[in-house]
Amino acid sequence: MGSRKYLLRKTLHAIATLVFVLTFNFFLFRVMPSDPVQLYARSLHLTEEDKLELQHELGLDRPLPQQFVIYMADTVTGNFGTSIKTGLPATEMITDRLWPTVLLVGLSTILSTAFGLFIGIKGAWKRGSLFDTSSLFGSLVLYSMPEGWLGMILLIFFAGTLHWFPAGQYESSGAGFTGFAHFFDVLNHLFLPLLTLTLGYIGEYAIIMRSSLLETMGEDFVQTARAKGLQEKLVRRRHAVPNAILPTLTLVFYSFGYVLGGAIIVETVFSWPGIGLLEYKSIAELDYPVIQGVFLLFSLAVIVFNLAADVLYSYLDPRIREA
Amino acid sequence: MRGSRPGSAIALVVLSLLVLGPASSALAQTDAGTDEKIVFDVGLTGDITSPNPFRACCTADYEMLWMNYDLLFNFANSDLSPEPAIAMSSEHSKDYMTWTFEIRDDAMWHDGQPLTAEDIVFTYQAIADYRLAFFKDYLPFNPTLSAPNPTTLVWESQEPTFAPTIPPWVPILPKHVWEEFTKVSDDPAEVKKAFKEYENFPAIGSGPFQLTEWEKGQSFTMEARRPYWGGDPVIDEVVFHIYENQEAMVQALKNGEIQFAEALKPTLFDALEGEANIQTHVAPAGCFSNLAFNFGGQGKTDTHDPAIEDLAVRDAVAQAIDKQAIVSSIWQGYAVPGDSVVRPQQELWYYDIPAEDEFTFDLDLAAQTLEDAGYVDGDNDGVREAPDGHPLQWEIVTLTDEAGSNDTGKLIEGWLEQIGIGVDLVPVSTTKAYVLWADGDFDAYVWGWCGDPDPDFILSLHTTGQCLGWSDGCYSNAEFDAMYEEQRTIFDREERRAFIVEMQEFLYRENPQIVLAYENDLQAFRTDRFEGYVPVPEPDGFYLFGWGADSYLSLHPIEGAPTTVEKPGLSAGVWIAIAAGVVVIVILVALMRRRGGEEQA
Repeated sequence: MGSRKYLLRKTLHAIATLVFVLTFNFFLFRVMPSDPVQLYARSLHLTEEDKLELQHELGLDRPLPQQFVIYMADTVTGNFGTSIKTGLPATEMITDRLWPTVLLVGLSTILSTAFGLFIGIKGAWKRGSLFDTSSLFGSLVLYSMPEGWLGMILLIFFAGTLHWFPAGQYESSGAGFTGFAHFFDVLNHLFLPLLTLTLGYIGEYAIIMRSSLLETMGEDFVQTARAKGLQEKLVRRRHAVPNAILPTLTLVFYSFGYVLGGAIIVETVFSWPGIGLLEYKSIAELDYPVIQGVFLLFSLAVIVFNLAADVLYSYLDPRIREA
Repeated sequence: MRGSRPGSAIALVVLSLLVLGPASSALAQTDAGTDEKIVFDVGLTGDITSPNPFRACCTADYEMLWMNYDLLFNFANSDLSPEPAIAMSSEHSKDYMTWTFEIRDDAMWHDGQPLTAEDIVFTYQAIADYRLAFFKDYLPFNPTLSAPNPTTLVWESQEPTFAPTIPPWVPILPKHVWEEFTKVSDDPAEVKKAFKEYENFPAIGSGPFQLTEWEKGQSFTMEARRPYWGGDPVIDEVVFHIYENQEAMVQALKNGEIQFAEALKPTLFDALEGEANIQTHVAPAGCFSNLAFNFGGQGKTDTHDPAIEDLAVRDAVAQAIDKQAIVSSIWQGYAVPGDSVVRPQQELWYYDIPAEDEFTFDLDLAAQTLEDAGYVDGDNDGVREAPDGHPLQWEIVTLTDEAGSNDTGKLIEGWLEQIGIGVDLVPVSTTKAYVLWADGDFDAYVWGWCGDPDPDFILSLHTTGQCLGWSDGCYSNAEFDAMYEEQRTIFDREERRAFIVEMQEFLYRENPQIVLAYENDLQAFRTDRFEGYVPVPEPDGFYLFGWGADSYLSLHPIEGAPTTVEKPGLSAGVWIAIAAGVVVIVILVALMRRRGGEEQA
């Protein structure tokens, strides 16, 4: 009973957040000091008459409540309008970028989580060992390293000097690769940005996992398990880690929520055509329909993964449901 | 069991990677050599905006349009003067109101239909009637166009004009593709919208190449279209690769992924010096950088300092700017100190202001100029006050996405503060700057201008009528406006040139904008696979991204050079070996754990 109530509360909470974001998204771009039409007057060399047309096209000449209704209806149907800059549907511009971002950021989140948790657990369990001290040092170095700089170093070394990998982009355009050749071509392009992002995040997961496990190792139930005569391995697997992993799992889920936000810096270093790059460029060009679309998608992903984390958490840790 | 430790397996995989890695490009090559197309790869840092010419704004768009479409006239390699293209010759009536062109009969659209005078009539008339994009500026005085037969074009102007010989930089569009948009509605706004919204892909033009692929944000591909009236291109495809940063583009050039890299920063350019199989090329400036003043007139949001309208103040600023320092520290020598708004590359028109008439850098003199004009620092706060008491405190806009703008702004800030003009730099994106300009919310800005070989456009920027159009600072001077109109009525080239020299002198004295430097375009290319670059203009102009498709028509593989595309990357075999290695490690670890478990149990 408690669990159902908990789920309902969390879902309602998520919906409320979403409605807030939708509304905020609408007003944010209408209270900005820059009039979108004025923005394009110079770059597109618009006449007064053109400006009125554009205003009409963007629906900015209608009363605000009417604009809001139209905006809500459009958003629900996945229509974010037309990019002012390119004239292409914003939805299409965004969906074009989804796959490269999911591939890069999704895969790197999986890899950095897996390696990070492994290193963190192993390090904590053998605290003070050579593995622990060296992995802790390595994690701190990687955690504090600016990923743009790391990417640039890898790019210059592996692409420009060794010629092992391409210097960025998603694929070899114009090379006409299909099937497996295309798969390996994308893999070659993916390798360096993936390595950069994975290295950049391993440290974070390792450090959090390590400290969380260390804390748990001092708990009474771990002592009790040992006292029962359980093997070290079983103490670790069945008692310590499942309890210690909870805070890290939350972090992992939040990270997945951010996958759709892309990785602006790494995507820029490696010219990877992801959402992050689109977001960055649209903001620089103040291309409002695209910014709105990306912003909403980003918020939606975070809300959904937060909800998922809450649900999973309640399943893994029954105390939460009862609270 | 010692030999099967996971450590050894990892070492084995790493070792095989190290051994196979360097050999991998040779392996990768075999993946690619499936077709014998001659592909030429170019790197640049900005994508096309759209295949639709009416949305063109930037370098990539213009290059695509040059290749995809024909113009009425091209620009001669020798001096960028108009030379026959789709029009083979032109004649004008005595009053310069009627122009007649002989149109070539061997130009074809990419879909196989012949290009006729009717297509030009349609394109020009639609642009003039519906005021489409910036192309409309090339078709002044409400012209009427007609085609008495497929090879004759008649352009009738309401006023005498030499506009046809500027020449119009207007891509000629196929009537049979675009005509339907003029029929969508009686409302011109709807027609205009239809023109702008057409996706135009693949773009049907009559140029030597056709835009056939566009991976947004990644690349666009121009495929050769033969026969072409100007001679068939040798290369089959030009692929433009978009890099988000110049460092990656340079690595790609070294890596052989691209043959040509455009618009490099001086530091990266210098680093390429002496690199094997790479040649660097310094092309004379196609643009200049400037410090432009705001004279106000944009409306109620205008915030300019009225002191800017005082010529003495502008003179003092000109005396306080060390252009040589800008050239050496911002452009690292790859620029020439600027003077006239017409660039030296426009050699038919450029007037090099004589040294004795030029402002010389002298901070004491600049301070004295302000002092003499009544701008004194009465309250000793380091900032002078105008005779009416208001302080000379300026907001100078710099553009964060334009090379050199911020750093130049910082230098200028330093100099102006030394002569008692307070400066707040306002670094913003270009898009944001457009808003500030439209509102008039600035005192000066650091950016620049490029433009046609003919000086008409660059001079037009200084006319009153261009306020809120192309003139961001709304400079207004009745005398100059009259001069601009007059030069449009001088039809003898020598006579017009003499008059345009006068106009350049006038603008230099008046200083509505201070031309800081003519920056070179820094290009780099590989020398191991292709040759045949054509400099436009001769002898050292742009190899690509200049004034036409000449290089693309002439480029060809070097004899004996490999024709297959060699892409860097590990081969499928290496990847499979790595994957197999990982699987082996996982299995070994699992087995060991199981054994360990059994032993302990």
